Amino acid sequence: MHAITARGLRKTYGRTVAVDSLDLDVEQGTVLGFLGPNGAGKTSAIRILSTVLEPDAGTFSVGGIPHTDPVRIRRRVGVLPESAGYPSSETGEEWLVYHAQLFGSPRREALSTAKRLLGEVGLPERGSSPIRTMSRGMRQRLGIARALVNNPDVVFLDEPTLGLDPAGQRQVLQLVTTIARERGVTVVLSTHLLAEVEQVCDRVLILNHGRLVSDGTVAEVASLAVGVPDRVLLNVAADQQQEALQLLLDNGIDAASASEGRLGEAFLTLTEDPP
Amino acid sequence: MIAEDQPLIPEDAPRGAGATPGAAGVVAWREIRDNWLSGRGLALMLAYTLTLSLTTYLTATNQALTFLEQREALGLALRVAVTVGGLLVILWCADAVSGERERGTLESLLLTPTSRRSIVIGKGVSALTLWFAAYLLAIPYLWVLGRGVSRLGDVLVGGLVVGTLLALFLAGVGLLVSMWSASQRASLGLSLFLLLALHAPAMMPPAALRGWSGTLMRRLDPFTGGFPYLDQVVLTGHPIGQDAGMLTGAVVAAIALPALAVLFAARLTLLPGSRA
Repeated sequence: MHAITARGLRKTYGRTVAVDSLDLDVEQGTVLGFLGPNGAGKTSAIRILSTVLEPDAGTFSVGGIPHTDPVRIRRRVGVLPESAGYPSSETGEEWLVYHAQLFGSPRREALSTAKRLLGEVGLPERGSSPIRTMSRGMRQRLGIARALVNNPDVVFLDEPTLGLDPAGQRQVLQLVTTIARERGVTVVLSTHLLAEVEQVCDRVLILNHGRLVSDGTVAEVASLAVGVPDRVLLNVAADQQQEALQLLLDNGIDAASASEGRLGEAFLTLTEDPP
Repeated sequence: MIAEDQPLIPEDAPRGAGATPGAAGVVAWREIRDNWLSGRGLALMLAYTLTLSLTTYLTATNQALTFLEQREALGLALRVAVTVGGLLVILWCADAVSGERERGTLESLLLTPTSRRSIVIGKGVSALTLWFAAYLLAIPYLWVLGRGVSRLGDVLVGGLVVGTLLALFLAGVGLLVSMWSASQRASLGLSLFLLLALHAPAMMPPAALRGWSGTLMRRLDPFTGGFPYLDQVVLTGHPIGQDAGMLTGAVVAAIALPALAVLFAARLTLLPGSRA
């Protein structure tokens, strides 16, 4: 059974098309990477699949539950939203207990779940600290713990490493790998970093302007991307640019070039013709 | 750091089919705790108590300055309690959803199987505790100002009834504004403007509210009906049931606005371009 199935998903904001004719079939237990530049439609797609946004057109199911039953879908999914906010005055434990209770756990059970999850995301000693005292990396791990309070079948992680230092990124990615391995849950990881996808994901989807540009393993997607007439820009952290280029070269993709974007971003451009 | 020898997710984690039952209570309890323990509620109450203390002190001691008789002084303190209590409720409700949106915590709430209505009801209930706390704090002041006044019990009950009706109405207004506002600042600004606009007719002299238009205003506007009703109870010593008809608008508004807020809460969602 597919963990996620989508047909013809479309979402627009005024004249802007965020998601356009998106078709998806994701096998259970897959770690799927959503790769694409900012504005590609990754967050909108995740918000639709997690039932926070309604699509303008199309159908989907998560864990075999049709989109017409959003409450049941929410019971089956865990989500770390992009730029998730946290109540600064609460402790991590209070926040997790609150969310576990909203999923129907009695308070005592919720407390036990919160303590266990805090331990499992590496924050056992910070559970009683106010969230405002936590680093961004700790908050992201707390956010992942929150996404797990309901024992989900599918976990959506929207840019979980955004703004983290390399150590924080490693910890979060290790956590993602552990979640996928230990429970066999389906993980959808949204990122704009090729290296993360290569490190964690079984399969990659590249989105651009709301459309699915490519679908396959990292090597397959890179190969296919070269055949696409338009350029494909992969937003890569500046310090990982050479590593990403090397990865593409190792996979037989020699039509890649690196360029500096604005605001210190770096891009890898895949084109039909070698640079 | 990360234990790898035990399952990440408890096997006995809750599963179910429908929206979480009793979620409104969970939201309300968390909001109440947040209101009072985070210090915001206490800070507002302190400011309110200072205002009430100043009003009471001036009206009770400085007869030459205020020219108020005892019943008028009591009525003024009661108005301050009801008005400021209502102000606290509308401000808290105005922040309830837009604040979550701005802090980026709304999406996490919407991702739970809790019904949107439960979220809004819980937040509304927690805001009402501010009104009840405000009124409880006002009782000693009203008792001091009303010593020797006949029917003081009616005055206290009348204040509670009118204040609760207005607080319910303002909670509905604040929540509706908050649900449609992308920013906290916009919802607070609009709510304050609406509060002042709704309050304005009640501040008009009685002569301006004569005739059919005045009667209509008294019937429709909860403030224009509510405050003159309190005047009848406090200043003329009427029993609380005698002029109850004046509260028609307040009763309708106290039911209709919260009901509308709960009705529209079903459509509560992220706004385009909002952080969450």
